[in-house]
Amino acid sequence: MIEFTEEQELIRESVKEFAQKKIAPIALDMEKHKEIPADIIKGMAELGILACTADPAYGGSGLNAVTAGVVAEELAKGDCTGSTCVFYLVQAAWGYLLNKYGTEEAKKEIFPKATSGDWFLGIATTESGGGTDVVGGKTTIKKDGDSFIVNGEKMYISGVREAVTNGGGHITIAHQSPELGSRGMTVFYLPLTAEGITPTYIDDLGREGISCGGFAIDNVKIPKHYILGEENKGFYIIHEGYEYARALIAVICAAAGLKSLENGMNYVKERKVFGKPLAKFQEINFRLAEHYTKLEMLKRLGYEALRAIDLEQEGKGNRFETSKIVAMSKMFASDWACEAINDVIQWQGAFGYSRECPDQAAWRAVRSFSLAEGTREVMKMIVARELLGKELTSYK
Amino acid sequence: MRYIVCVKQVPESNDLKFDPDENKVLKIGVSTIINPFDQFALEQAIKIKNEGDEIIAISIGDAETKSTLMRCLALGADKGILLDDEDFKDSDTFATSNILATAITKIGNYSIIFCGNSSIDTGSSQVGPELASILKIPQVTYVESVENVENGKVKVKAQTDEGYRIIESELPLVIAAIPPSSFQPNIPPLPKILAARKKPFDIWKTEDIEGDQSKFGSNGSVIKIIKLYKPPKREQGIVFTDEPNTAVEKLMELLSKDKVI
Repeated sequence: MIEFTEEQELIRESVKEFAQKKIAPIALDMEKHKEIPADIIKGMAELGILACTADPAYGGSGLNAVTAGVVAEELAKGDCTGSTCVFYLVQAAWGYLLNKYGTEEAKKEIFPKATSGDWFLGIATTESGGGTDVVGGKTTIKKDGDSFIVNGEKMYISGVREAVTNGGGHITIAHQSPELGSRGMTVFYLPLTAEGITPTYIDDLGREGISCGGFAIDNVKIPKHYILGEENKGFYIIHEGYEYARALIAVICAAAGLKSLENGMNYVKERKVFGKPLAKFQEINFRLAEHYTKLEMLKRLGYEALRAIDLEQEGKGNRFETSKIVAMSKMFASDWACEAINDVIQWQGAFGYSRECPDQAAWRAVRSFSLAEGTREVMKMIVARELLGKELTSYK
Repeated sequence: MRYIVCVKQVPESNDLKFDPDENKVLKIGVSTIINPFDQFALEQAIKIKNEGDEIIAISIGDAETKSTLMRCLALGADKGILLDDEDFKDSDTFATSNILATAITKIGNYSIIFCGNSSIDTGSSQVGPELASILKIPQVTYVESVENVENGKVKVKAQTDEGYRIIESELPLVIAAIPPSSFQPNIPPLPKILAARKKPFDIWKTEDIEGDQSKFGSNGSVIKIIKLYKPPKREQGIVFTDEPNTAVEKLMELLSKDKVI
């Protein structure tokens, strides 16, 4: 079991205070208004949790992965809609990638705006024809003197409206040398305020406080300093960002599920049926015990995955072991959390099915995570690949 | 100027658990926070702090109490002192005040000693006044705001039953602070939490403060707790959710039936 440092516990206390006092009371309103209020974003910035993995030299808090997980856990307990969790996690995970592979010029330009909450820093790899299979994407990037020209489209992307309206952009991947497949892809930062970007919006099922959409990319010119890492090495680079996000998602799902179980426990202890509390029915207390056990296991595995990322950063880890444990942590994260929350909805009867009930919002939010940042099925492929060897992978 | 802020770590939950054999509030299994009155007192010290001034946060406790002092450092205190010794265990408010007064005397050269007016766990409101008495310095209690510190004097706004009093006092003194209902405690931001570990932090025992053991812990305590128990839980009241006119009618009917009116 992971032991947290004194600083991590203090950080937990601060984020918990912020999430419970500022976010929880207005969480369901975020879905009604389809946005995270400006004062919440400002508060997150003042707390130092936006793009928190960026180096302090660029305005970040320089958090490691486990500490970023602590922040994610407390946000997930405070925000039943998951909106601020998504707003946080993409900037933490993809900020990590920009911090590691971005140019000095890009980091100086983007991070101060992202950490202050003025800009949104997102991730846009999915296209209408492919998501987790990034090589299946059609977007291209071509060198044009000292610049690059991007063409294509991205779809089902979080935070499109935020970046288009307030500024910022998304870390993106495209084919630079299509004939080389995965070995010919380049990762770069694409500002969504650039000429040639045409956004569209999608009405998502959950996490409604943050927008979801897509954008057409028509001859968008980006400077050379927006390229992350080496050209044509993007396929490998992008997976580090994915893995960071996946491990955070495991912790978020566990925390959202455990918070919902807490709501459920409070309910079944008070609510009486046939003259006794609901909690006394074996149907309920057995299910509670099973869900709690699964979610605690999930949380611990999530933190182990984050620790693997940290160890790798410290030169003590192993790339493939990290991929495996991260995939293991995310594989059932959404499913287990959804199952638990679904039961809590059931325990609460008609109230559970109403928009007033925070758990229904949590269910809709958590449901997205078996798709976002890599599907459940691909997580299985990764684990099996590490167990059986590359020659027996199902995708080759 | 040197400001010393006395802080206490208290259980977070309103649902306190007691050890009936020892007549103690149990800390195990309950998350802890800084006493909110003490955080308010610290924020008052930070408000009046000028360049060159120093704020020292001090607390009696054990290794777990360090986190409360680290929070004070993240909020803006310059130094933390944890008073952690077996001698200090089982102190009542008088022994607590003696420990704090001895440590504060050891620190020396202080202008204002800040305390929360009360703590949310035991709530005796005694430590501030006792500290002033032991140190033979003035005290002002129920202070809602420190207005200014000028020319060796401090001006404070203190609550009374009728309203407020503006009180001026010579330094040094003890201020027991009470937050207004509108008080929203600051939340320490992450970069300041990470920077807090670089600030000075001392752990002192009896010998470090050159204290008299007989005045500390159970030896120095004058209060004996006979029994510690929870008051009986109040039954949930009746809530009328009808339209106002109907609700008033129903309320009147019930009050009349119960012979309240």
